[in-house]
Amino acid sequence: MKLKKEYVLRRICGENIIVAEGKETINFGELIHLNDTAAWLWEQAQEEFTPESLAKSLCEEYEVDAATAMHDVSAILEKWQQAGFLE
Amino acid sequence: MIVTMANCYFLVADNAFLVQGEDSIIEALSNYNPFIFKGNGSRDIVFFMTIEIGKKRQYKQVSRREDGGFELICGQISALNPVYEYRWQGQTIGQLICSQNHQEGKLILSGYMMKFAIDNALMLQYALRTVNLQTVVFHASAISYDNYAYMFLGASGTGKSTHSRLWLQSIENTELINDDHPVVRIIDGGAYVYGSPWSGKTPCYKQIRMPLGSIVRLHQAPQNKIWRCSNLEAYFLLAQSITGKRMDRKHADGLHETESFLTEKYGLWFLDCLPNEDAAILCRDNIALK
Repeated sequence: MKLKKEYVLRRICGENIIVAEGKETINFGELIHLNDTAAWLWEQAQEEFTPESLAKSLCEEYEVDAATAMHDVSAILEKWQQAGFLE
Repeated sequence: MIVTMANCYFLVADNAFLVQGEDSIIEALSNYNPFIFKGNGSRDIVFFMTIEIGKKRQYKQVSRREDGGFELICGQISALNPVYEYRWQGQTIGQLICSQNHQEGKLILSGYMMKFAIDNALMLQYALRTVNLQTVVFHASAISYDNYAYMFLGASGTGKSTHSRLWLQSIENTELINDDHPVVRIIDGGAYVYGSPWSGKTPCYKQIRMPLGSIVRLHQAPQNKIWRCSNLEAYFLLAQSITGKRMDRKHADGLHETESFLTEKYGLWFLDCLPNEDAAILCRDNIALK
């Protein structure tokens, strides 16, 4: 799986926002805010990844069991898929 | 035919650059006169542009932007050389070929609408080169009031110039800094608004700078009303008034650094307004630093 290159995580006044920077101007249309965990996962997802590889990273970074990690990652990836962030 | 070549150094927002070209072409750039810079030994040149008249080169087109009859086509000549072609009503007026970091540029003019092509190309190369030097070119009208700068943002035709004029008419100690493309630079934790050679329809070319006071986004409305934008609104509206090559990550990062800084330190006001003096007074009463 891969994130589309035009979507960039920007920190704006303490919030994590995904901004579409594919064109000359950016749109203040639908803004997706990410909580800190999702923002951290976004950084891990900059190279090609699988839900399993992200869940594994999550377990390594946070105190969470494998099943919960897999569940949380699946939920986040579902949102990203709906938002059109995934290739 | 013998042509004399001129080398001219300019300083805009404390960024020095060099323009080389035929004497007659350089001499015609009267809007740059206040920015002529003699002391080139004391300062680094951030970019140079050579200007010549000739045939445009073949290149691969990547994107296109249109605005009335004016077109800007972006592309590449090789993996390393970005190209920017300017057209007016379908005819090429100039082609700018740059090094990858935009420190070097060659502008090939067709001979048609030369000043227009030079002004646009210089402003573009300036913006692209200085974005990683805490410098951004705004699309705005900027005035000074009691030694602070105030910038009015908005889409073309919204009334930015009109609003500035109302301040100049009805409020004392005001002066126009630039009416179309003031340059903002962050220095030592503060933003400064500079005059520039690019001022649109109002010939206002001043080598001055003022510390930024506030920024206001204007909107035509049947009533005068002003309020503070939320952080996110501020960030996006500010970004909308700064053109940039956002699909280039390094460039976008540079823009974001400055846009974040301006959002956090200054934020943005939103002004619904009529083109009348009351609008200028209401605005001043709310946004001006005491």
